[in-house]
This record gives sequence, structure tokens and C-alpha cells, in this order.
Amino acid sequence: MTAEGTLMEPTTERSDAASAAGRLVSVVVPVVERTDDLVALYRAFAGELDRRGEEHEFLFVFDGGFTAPPELVALSHAQDSVRLFSFARTFGETAALRLGIERSRGDVVVTLPAYFQVQAEGMGPLLDALRGGADLVVANRSPRVDSWLNRLQSRVFQRMLAGVTDRRFHDIACGVRVIRRPVAEALPLYGDLHRFIPALALREGYRVDEVAVPQHPNDARTRVYRPGTYLRRLLDVAAFFFLAKFTEKPLRFFGLVGSVFFGLGAVTGLVLLVERIAGQGIANRPLLLLAVLLIALGVQLMGLGLVGEIIVHLRSPHRRAYRVRERV
Amino acid sequence: MGPQLSVVAPLYNESENVQPLVEWILEALGTYPGTFEVILVDDGSRDDTWDRIAGAAGAHPDVHGLRLGRNVGQTAAMMAGFDHARGRVVVSLDGDLQNDPRDIPMLVAKLEEGYDLVCGWRQRRQDKLILRKVPSWVANRLIRRLTGVQITDNGCSLKAYRRDLLDRISLYAEQHRFIPALSASVGARITELPVRHHARRFGESKYGISRTVKVLVDLFTLKMITTFRSRPLVGFALAAIPMLMAALAFSLLWAYAATHFAPLKSEAIVFPGVALLWLAAAFYLAMLGLVAEVALSSERESAREIPTAWEVR
Repeated sequence: MTAEGTLMEPTTERSDAASAAGRLVSVVVPVVERTDDLVALYRAFAGELDRRGEEHEFLFVFDGGFTAPPELVALSHAQDSVRLFSFARTFGETAALRLGIERSRGDVVVTLPAYFQVQAEGMGPLLDALRGGADLVVANRSPRVDSWLNRLQSRVFQRMLAGVTDRRFHDIACGVRVIRRPVAEALPLYGDLHRFIPALALREGYRVDEVAVPQHPNDARTRVYRPGTYLRRLLDVAAFFFLAKFTEKPLRFFGLVGSVFFGLGAVTGLVLLVERIAGQGIANRPLLLLAVLLIALGVQLMGLGLVGEIIVHLRSPHRRAYRVRERV
Repeated sequence: MGPQLSVVAPLYNESENVQPLVEWILEALGTYPGTFEVILVDDGSRDDTWDRIAGAAGAHPDVHGLRLGRNVGQTAAMMAGFDHARGRVVVSLDGDLQNDPRDIPMLVAKLEEGYDLVCGWRQRRQDKLILRKVPSWVANRLIRRLTGVQITDNGCSLKAYRRDLLDRISLYAEQHRFIPALSASVGARITELPVRHHARRFGESKYGISRTVKVLVDLFTLKMITTFRSRPLVGFALAAIPMLMAALAFSLLWAYAATHFAPLKSEAIVFPGVALLWLAAAFYLAMLGLVAEVALSSERESAREIPTAWEVR
């Protein structure tokens, strides 16, 4: 899906973007979980962008269950640069971001949580980093002002991801990101992958920078989620790991797991065979069931991997693992 | 109208080799009668390979550079070059000067005799024996044996392709060493020619012995895909047959034990249990074959599925 779009596309817009400072900045705000006063949020960040002389538009995307506050609706009537969208049912943050990116018109897309996660002054350094040549800049909340529990959760998440991503990020889950438009459109965003946006961009071959931005005190409230949320987070990491390592070679994964099962089953079966030859009956050995179960499971897993390989093989004409950065 | 011949060379951290490579290729093609282009693919090098390529491209109108976003490996880098090559004939070679560009005209001439793919066969290979030559010898034997494609040196990058063939094979993962086998599966005419091989002059080799296991898995995958891609259900059904037989054998054992002995309770469970397990596994494989059929159904109608052929005059 992403690869087709970028197949032949030479990215020569880098130098143009660097030269033209006064281009349109689209700020996409997905309203999906917690919200602060959205008008105050708008005023703070729009004010900061105005101060820097940036042309900007704000797109608020309300997930199902969230309604736009009347003051914001009034604001959107008064100003064309404020646009509101609303989902009929819950689709989640990734879908909200995709809609915002699709409807936005700016050359630079900024994703901004619906609450004060970082100080508005951070916009300057973030945009500067993008114009300095990066394709995507993610904020790194630093210095952090929140509780040790938040920091611990964040630390554990980064640690888990460190082995999966190509590079170690300091604050990959931070919702404040500045992205070049073609990059934003090329990102393979679906499911709950928004948490991995910097890692996704890196994997697609884009230049990703981290910029330290002071954390806002509103972000400091201690967050404790339900166990289900943590489990989902864990599954997200597992899914991302699988996608990153085995999308092209599913049999390497399924084959490995399958051959472990198969091997254990075969060894057990051999032991039983030797015992049978030595004279011991096998009809009353539940171990025989285990041996057959393991062998069957192993074969099934390899079969599953093979189906994956066939799908990858047939999709390969439409997919490219590379992305062309420059042509001369 | 594009050039008639495209030469594609992937480079990864080969800064010192860029200039001599370009000079060699241009010299070798000096007597080539048609138009040509040289495409140098920088596979996310960390040294100044790209600057050298850009320099060479600026100095020669027939030389083009392609810079990839990150290091994606030899197969994908070659694919990038192929996608951008406009020639009716495409030649690939290593960017490390171990292949000799002077062999290019010979390969192209051979291709014109009526082949889709001409593979180089490195004579007197200038590589380390244990680390490179022995694994390569074993791998080549295995590939010949399993795929039935009689090419001596599958690992040689110096190859000439007809455009029509490249439009039908798509390489991914680490499949560049299976190009002859993949080409054969779409009906290509393949031959090989002895080519010269030189020792590395600059830079380091990017190969190691660790990839042997991966090559084996890839080879198995390739064998399965090329054999069963048109009828996966057949392949899965074939795999399910031994399991059905095992289920049958254990059912018979159970019937025999039940009629000839007075079984204990535990004995009455194990044999039917095993028979059912085999039956379930066989059923599962057959269903998996159906899933594969469904997954393939939309792709089958693609024009790429038509094999390549030469027009007989």
C-alpha cells in the first residue's frame, strides 16, 4: 500500500522545503482519549505559530463519543483555518490521524494530542529540525516534570521497543510529531500503529530526528490504565515486531517455531519406538498422544508459514522494499 | 525512446570503487553499437559512495545514480535498478569490481542469440576458500538439485536479462541468488557463459558464512513456491495424505486391539486419540490449501502470470 505510492517517486522536494519557510503547516488534533480545553490548546499553539510567522490550519478530529465544545465550533465558523471532523463511531487514534492527514493541505503535518503534552514554545525547534533536512521529527519530552510512575511506564515501553526498532528512541510514544507531507501520506498507518510512527518512518527509509521539548505540567498527571490496555500495548509491540522482521519472510518465523514443535515430537516418538522395540507396549502410553500432537502442530505451523510465503510472493510485484531518496 | 542497454550495479560502502567501476564500464562499452545507460544504486551507504556516484553522474551523461533511503540489501537494491532501467536488455554486476565489465558485450551478444537470461560463471574465483567458495559450491549443488536449473554459478551477479523477463519476475527478500530458478519457473531460456573474476581491490566483503542456514530456508521456500504456486491445494493435499494414512493405521490398530484383547481403560483412549489427531491435522492442512487458493485467486488473472516466450519466425 505504501510502496506503490512511493515506488518511483524521487524526493527532490527536500531542498524546496528548506528554502521556503512560509509554507502551510497543518496541525492535526485527534480527540480520542483525554482532552484539555481545546480552545486554550488552539490559542496556545496557533499563537506560537503566528509568532513565528507560519501560515497554519488546525484540524480537530473527534472520535465517536466526543463532541466539539461550542466555543470551538464558534471558532471554526469564524475562522476558515479551523476545521472540525467527527466520526460517527469509535475508530481510534490511528484512523483519526489518517483522516486528518488526508483532509489537511499543508506541506508540513503536525500531530498534536488533544491536551497539553508539551509546551507550545516547542513548535519552533521542531519545525526548524524538519527544515534542517529531517523527514519526520518527534518530540522528546525533556525535561520531564511528571511522576515517577509515568516515567517508569514510558521507560518500560521504550525498553521493550528498543530491541524491535532499528534505532533507540527516547520518547517514541510522544504524540507531538512534525512530518513532511509526502512522508505522512506514505506511512503504513493502520490498527494501532500510531504509537510507532517514528519507527515506521525509519523503517521506510526516512530520516527521523528527535528534538527535546519541555513537557507541559498538564501531562504530568499520573496515568494508570486498566490491565486490558497494557495487554493491548504488549500485543501492539508483538505485532510491530512481527511486521518489522518477518513481513517478507513469514516462513522464517513459522518454520522456526514449527520445527521446534516437530523436533520435540519426533524425539518423543523415537523414544517410544525404541521402547516398543525393547518390548514395552505403547497402547497405554499417553506420551504417544503428546508426540503425535507435537508433530501435527509443527507441520501445521510450517503450512501456515508457507501460505504466508505464497501470499508474499504473489504480492511482491506490487511491493518494493526500497524507497528512492535521490536521483541524479 | 530509452537506451537499448542498461547496466545496473548496486553499491554499498564502495566509495573507492565508484570511479574505477564507471571508467571500466564506459571503456568496455566504448565499442557497443547501440545506446546505453549505467545505473549506479547506492544502497544506503554510510561512507561517501553517494557523493562519488553523483560526481560520476555529473561527469557522464549516460551514468545515472539512484540513492535508496536506507540499506535494503542486494536484492532490493538490484530491483530498484531494474525498475529504473529503460533498456531492452539489462545487465547487472557487482559494484565491488570483482566482475569484469569487459564481459558485458559478450553476455549481451549471447542474449541476442535467443535467450532470456545469460548468467556469468566465475572462472578462477578470487575469494577465500573456506568462507566463500565451499559454502557457495554446496549451495550451488543444492540449488541445481532442488530446482533442476543447470546453472553452475548462481551467486554470480554478472547477468544479462531481457526486459520481458524482468517484467515477469519480482525479487524480494534475499532472492537474487535464485534468479535462474525463478526465471525458469516463468519459462525463460537460460544459459551461462564463463566470465572473469578479480580479487577485491578496495573495501571489504559484505558476505559471511552465517547466511548459510537462511539460504537453506529460502531454498526450501522457493522450491515449494515454484512447485505449488499455481495449485497450492494440490501441494497441501499431498502433504495431508501421509497423515490420513497414519490416521487409518492407528484406527486399524485400535480395531485390532479392541477385538483381540480386553483393553484397559487407558489403552482404549490412546489409539483412537492418536488416529483423531492425525485426522485433524490432515483436515487442517487441506483447509490451509483452500485458504492459499483463495489468497491467490485475485492474483491469477494478472498478465504477469503469462509465461514468457520467443516469437518463432
